[in-house]
Amino acid sequence: MGLTAITEREGEPRLDTENGEETRHVQPKTAIVLGNRTPEQLGTLYITTKRLIWLSDVDKQKGYAVDFLSISLHAVSRDPDAYQLPCIYAQIETVESDGYGDELEDQNSTNGENLDLSQVTEIRLVPSDPNTLDDIFKVLCTCAELNPEPDGELEGEGDWIFSSEDMMNANLGAVNGMSVQHGVGDWDYEEDELVNHIGHSNGLDHSLHENILELQIDDARFEDALEPEDEVQRSRT
Amino acid sequence: MLFFSYFKELVGKEVTVELKNDLAIRGTLHSVDQYLNIKLENTRVVEQDKYPHMLSVKNCFIRGSVVRYVLLPPDGVDVDILHDATRREARGG
Repeated sequence: MGLTAITEREGEPRLDTENGEETRHVQPKTAIVLGNRTPEQLGTLYITTKRLIWLSDVDKQKGYAVDFLSISLHAVSRDPDAYQLPCIYAQIETVESDGYGDELEDQNSTNGENLDLSQVTEIRLVPSDPNTLDDIFKVLCTCAELNPEPDGELEGEGDWIFSSEDMMNANLGAVNGMSVQHGVGDWDYEEDELVNHIGHSNGLDHSLHENILELQIDDARFEDALEPEDEVQRSRT
Repeated sequence: MLFFSYFKELVGKEVTVELKNDLAIRGTLHSVDQYLNIKLENTRVVEQDKYPHMLSVKNCFIRGSVVRYVLLPPDGVDVDILHDATRREARGG
């Protein structure tokens, strides 16, 4: 999880070939910036099927790696207001920053040498040739897609198990709820949570947040939302 | 797979993606894959005061597992179709 140091290499980074790790892209003459620190000297960027690795050209014992599983997002940044040089910007999910990491704000302003790598939440990769950014971005996308979330690690929310009977009951509830008039706005379910906020602002002209339909895409959460329905159905029987 | 198919319909529309770390990014939906990884174009951060450095990145790839909500444009949602599809999916059909 998070950024780690790489201190050993054999010319190239050591890959986990036993688990099928392969290099997909090598970008020489690339600087890395950790958080808001000053850029490191030039190095070489390796994008593998599992990780993003950067090795310093100068200090042979210096390097960093981060799993694609820990990269929350990556982007091409060309706005000089965001960063003075065109770069790849990536956010790293660290254990503590998972959710409410406000108390960690200071970490990026540290300019001391003993930076806790596991707490670095942002990196920038600055290739000497900015024309390569789009290619790097594409490879990062491809490799990120090769690394979906391992099963059953959805933040402990995967505990809700529905039998098919429960699902049928939940369905009946939904059908019963359909008797409400349409177009009035909210769907008048007894258990509003069933559909969460889907369709909650039809025809209303409020602030952006009310005007936009919210839809939860996390399946586990969605099941979670079904739970109250489930309980009600049980108590009826 | 319902949401995958559903989000594919929204390609080209303006959406706001809220991450589990509270960052909210608005942009044009470029593509979505089966893991609900989301690619946005011409993005901007909703609360720029809070995240000044994220200011207008051109393309952005967001890992599906870090997404909390996707806020959709009202005209991009056919409530009836979505409703039917949701029920079909719940039935396992």
